[in-house]
Amino acid sequence: MGKKFLRFEFLLLFAVFIIATCGLIYELVAGTLASYLLGDSVKQFSFIIGVYLFSMGIGSFFSKFFNKNLLNTFVEIEILVGLIGGLSSVVLFLLFESVGSFQFILYLFVFVTGFLVGLEIPLLMNILKDRVEFKDLVSNVFTFDYIGALLASILFPLVLVPKLGIMGTSLFFGMINVSIAIALCFLLKRELKKPSLLRAKAIFSFVLLLVFFIFSNDILAYSEGKLYGENIIYTNSTPYQRIVLTHNKSDYRLYLNNNLQFSSADEYRYHEALVHPAMSMAKSVENVLVLGGGDGLAVREILKYKDVKKVTLVDLDEGMTKLFKTNSVLTNFNQNSLNNPKVTVINTDAYIWAKNNKEKYDVAIIDFPDPSNYSLGKLYSLNFYQTIKTILKPNAAVVIQTTSPYFAPKSFWCINKTVMQVFPQVDAYHVYVPSFGEWGYTIAINGFRTTFNTVNRKADGLKFYNYQFDRFNYFTNDMISNQIEINRLDNQILVRYFDEEWGKLQ
Amino acid sequence: MIRLLGTKHLLGHRLWIKDFPKPTKQIQIPYLIVGGGISGLSAARQFHKKGISDFLIVELENHLGGNSSNGENKYSKYPLGAHYLPLPNFQDKELLQFLEEEKIILKYDEKGFPVFDELQLTFAPDERLFYKNNWQEGVVPKEGNLISDDLEFEKFFKKMDVFRTAKGEDQKYLFDIPLHLSSKDEKTRALDKITMKQWFTDNHFTSEPLYNYIDYCCKDDFGLGIEYVSAWAGIHYFAGRKQDSTPEKHDSVLTWPEGNSCLANHLKKYTKDKSLKNHLVYEVKVENNKVIAKAFDDVNKTSVEIIANKVIMASPQFVNQYLINDRKAFTKDFHYTPWLLATLVVNDLFDNFSFPLSWDNVIYDAKGLGYVYDQHQTVNQVQDKKVITYYYSFSSADLKKTRKELYKKDKEYWKQFVLNDLKVAHPDIEEYTEDVEVFLLGHGMISPAPGFIFGEAKKQAKQNIQNKIYFAHSDLSGISIFEEAFHQGINVVNEIVDGTTVDS
Ligand SMILES: Cc1cc2nc3c(=O)[nH]c(=O)nc-3n(C[C@H](O)[C@H](O)[C@H](O)COP(=O)(O)OP(=O)(O)OC[C@H]3O[C@@H](n4cnc5c(N)ncnc54)[C@H](O)[C@@H]3O)c2cc1C
Repeated sequence: MGKKFLRFEFLLLFAVFIIATCGLIYELVAGTLASYLLGDSVKQFSFIIGVYLFSMGIGSFFSKFFNKNLLNTFVEIEILVGLIGGLSSVVLFLLFESVGSFQFILYLFVFVTGFLVGLEIPLLMNILKDRVEFKDLVSNVFTFDYIGALLASILFPLVLVPKLGIMGTSLFFGMINVSIAIALCFLLKRELKKPSLLRAKAIFSFVLLLVFFIFSNDILAYSEGKLYGENIIYTNSTPYQRIVLTHNKSDYRLYLNNNLQFSSADEYRYHEALVHPAMSMAKSVENVLVLGGGDGLAVREILKYKDVKKVTLVDLDEGMTKLFKTNSVLTNFNQNSLNNPKVTVINTDAYIWAKNNKEKYDVAIIDFPDPSNYSLGKLYSLNFYQTIKTILKPNAAVVIQTTSPYFAPKSFWCINKTVMQVFPQVDAYHVYVPSFGEWGYTIAINGFRTTFNTVNRKADGLKFYNYQFDRFNYFTNDMISNQIEINRLDNQILVRYFDEEWGKLQ
Repeated sequence: MIRLLGTKHLLGHRLWIKDFPKPTKQIQIPYLIVGGGISGLSAARQFHKKGISDFLIVELENHLGGNSSNGENKYSKYPLGAHYLPLPNFQDKELLQFLEEEKIILKYDEKGFPVFDELQLTFAPDERLFYKNNWQEGVVPKEGNLISDDLEFEKFFKKMDVFRTAKGEDQKYLFDIPLHLSSKDEKTRALDKITMKQWFTDNHFTSEPLYNYIDYCCKDDFGLGIEYVSAWAGIHYFAGRKQDSTPEKHDSVLTWPEGNSCLANHLKKYTKDKSLKNHLVYEVKVENNKVIAKAFDDVNKTSVEIIANKVIMASPQFVNQYLINDRKAFTKDFHYTPWLLATLVVNDLFDNFSFPLSWDNVIYDAKGLGYVYDQHQTVNQVQDKKVITYYYSFSSADLKKTRKELYKKDKEYWKQFVLNDLKVAHPDIEEYTEDVEVFLLGHGMISPAPGFIFGEAKKQAKQNIQNKIYFAHSDLSGISIFEEAFHQGINVVNEIVDGTTVDS
């Protein structure tokens, strides 16, 4: 009898230990999620701990209304805590899009788990009170409770989040929680009423958690958009890239494959600097070519010049240009430029197109994604620029976005040097774009009949560029790099530079 | 879908029985070239250069090119044999000249180095190796070696560097291309008597990754592995190419989606209206101061008699022994390694992303030589489907037996064989494979087994017959590479026209 009783007590105390650990884990998960998604971690953690402790108190208070079937209730609560706590992160992840209700649901979860955990301890004391001396009981219960809490708070940041991720952690502990319930169902078969019903509930909950655990990566991928830290208003996956548009106060941001493409707050700096120097220097601007730039923002700037008769935009991704022709938020940004009758949009591979094209242009604006892989690297190769030269008129101007001279000076000057092999006049310049940092361009003239300081024409209403090119082509020492190789298809040295420089930052 | 194709070996086998119809047609032509591979085509070009235009080239397949031919599907062209040309040696002016004519060399820079067309040099990344469960850059095993391996690699490459630049007393490179330019140095030539494996052991090498790497290289160029190939040939692979035609000492290669078929196509322009395809030449003999060649037209099922002043046999010796009398005695020393190529159309090529897809993708310790990504030399951003060509050489001690087995197995067998070999690096490739085309080359390439390159058989086979029948084929060099076939073609025409000969 003595031995058997010991086992009984020990089992329940072990359950306390698990509940305490799990309870704290759920709380930490909630706190982390809240600070991830809502920011301001001090506030979030502080509120959540407060609410959690408070709800535990409420739980304790209500425990006195439970008088019958205490052991059954105990096991049932154990299952419930596992289920609710385990699933909390899944629900929160999925609900993040609707920020308003997110906070409400977050605190509801914290409250419910706190409440249930709060119920457990007094309940347990009630169960054990006739079997153990009160002094021992209290001290044992609380010892296990606090050891569990310590274990949780150490494991959480060091092991659990790095290994399992947030969602995985909460589901995993939900399963532990429920498995204790299952174990109790088996071991305390005789003490429990209707143990098989209880067991069925527990096993069902376990399986549910397990299914979510297995698919947690997919759920995460689905809700990935919610981690931008901004309010997602649009997402779309084209065959080439994933487009995400976010909104935060008055700022809209467009991400392509998770890379920031522009922020509506400061994109005018980037696009004015991209377009206007070349447009003002070129001999003529009747026929303008844009490669990449499917957002139509460069075209918007180009259309500010009355002499422009024709703009051809070549962008691989039809999904992208379609979006910027039809979505009203976006056409607002590009002032409906892609629907302008002067503009022809061609969705095809720019390199192949340029090789086969017969027409010649006065200005070429090249705005491709950064050379982060060998495919994109081809669009910055010597042969590519030689190809571009064949479709430019004499004294045409060409400008290329060439990543950041500050973060990636080797990459920046590599492109510049490559362009120098092809065009008679080449220069580089840079601007500060707050959302990007220091950003730069290479500019070239296909002849000698005009210079970088020539201003053949101006557009009205610019917010940033003042047609004083010589204010932008000075580089401080920390943006300079020497001993750079030329980027050719057969060495793709640029991709290596880029990887080395941006890799260092990540 | 799976298809099993190959060179017309069945038609070739009819040469044994010679049950061809009597000729019903006669053609008179001063110069006849038998065989439209690189040697034959190069001879045509050289005739043209010499101002000779009254020649005819006869080829048994329905296209010219021989082992430098290609296939094409909806997504890409792909090689059906040779697929690259290493950068030429700077001394090889004939080859430089040809590459310049065809705009593969665009110009010469201030220092006199040729400037190669960027689009025809292998794009980066050019090679990767699946070694110790990871893709790494280059085909030399690096990450995961023991220190002792690294030391042996270093020692090996140092030795090769020495061989590459070393010259004999005759002031000729010990190893050169074309091969007949190499030094007569006795000690070096003695290397042709032993196998590469023997040389490996004699030089106290023990490293397994090094052994595997050399084995791969030997198979890549000769079809024969380290166990069976002559040490002279094995070293020639590393030392024959001088890497001196670019200032950076590049060991890059020129390549095209269709492989060396691109080079064959350049040469084909010299045979316009001067070629007979689908014609199997089955008999060649000297009669009344003329050469009479008989050919079977495989389309019309008739035969034709061609009467020529001189004939160039640009066909391999294993064929020539059935066309011309008294050649069997020395031809028995010519051994040819069979090859298998498989071109796969795949929806994707998932692997563990440790190094991106390259032009040449080699799997360490695999059965085959890995695969070439056929669309690598395109400038597109994306490809709907990927097309790759897998290479396998039947390196063995008894090539005849191997060849018999090769034709016995069915296409399902070969498909599974190829997929299993690729699964090491791409575990789910089978799922993503849409189409497999297996191409068998029963007599793929001449095998420089010990004793062959500097042996008697080769010498005898090269002798012209009564200044009427001449021989030019890469098998007469002993190693099967574009440069050898190219020079065979040039030299034979020079011999005919100017009476000059080259010795070996
Ligand atoms: C799988 C494989 C891969 C290779 N890879 C490379 C490579 O990457 N780089 C490289 O440089 N080399 C490579 N080679 C070597 C390649 O064979 C040579 O580069 C070159 O193509 C050989 O040309 P050839 O004219 O000497 O011989 P072949 O190409 O054999 O030409 C002989 C021609 O004669 C024809 N013929 C034969 N008998 C008759 C007859 N009775 N009547 C009429 N016509 C006949 C044949 O059909 C053939 O077209 C490879 C070879 C193989 C098999």
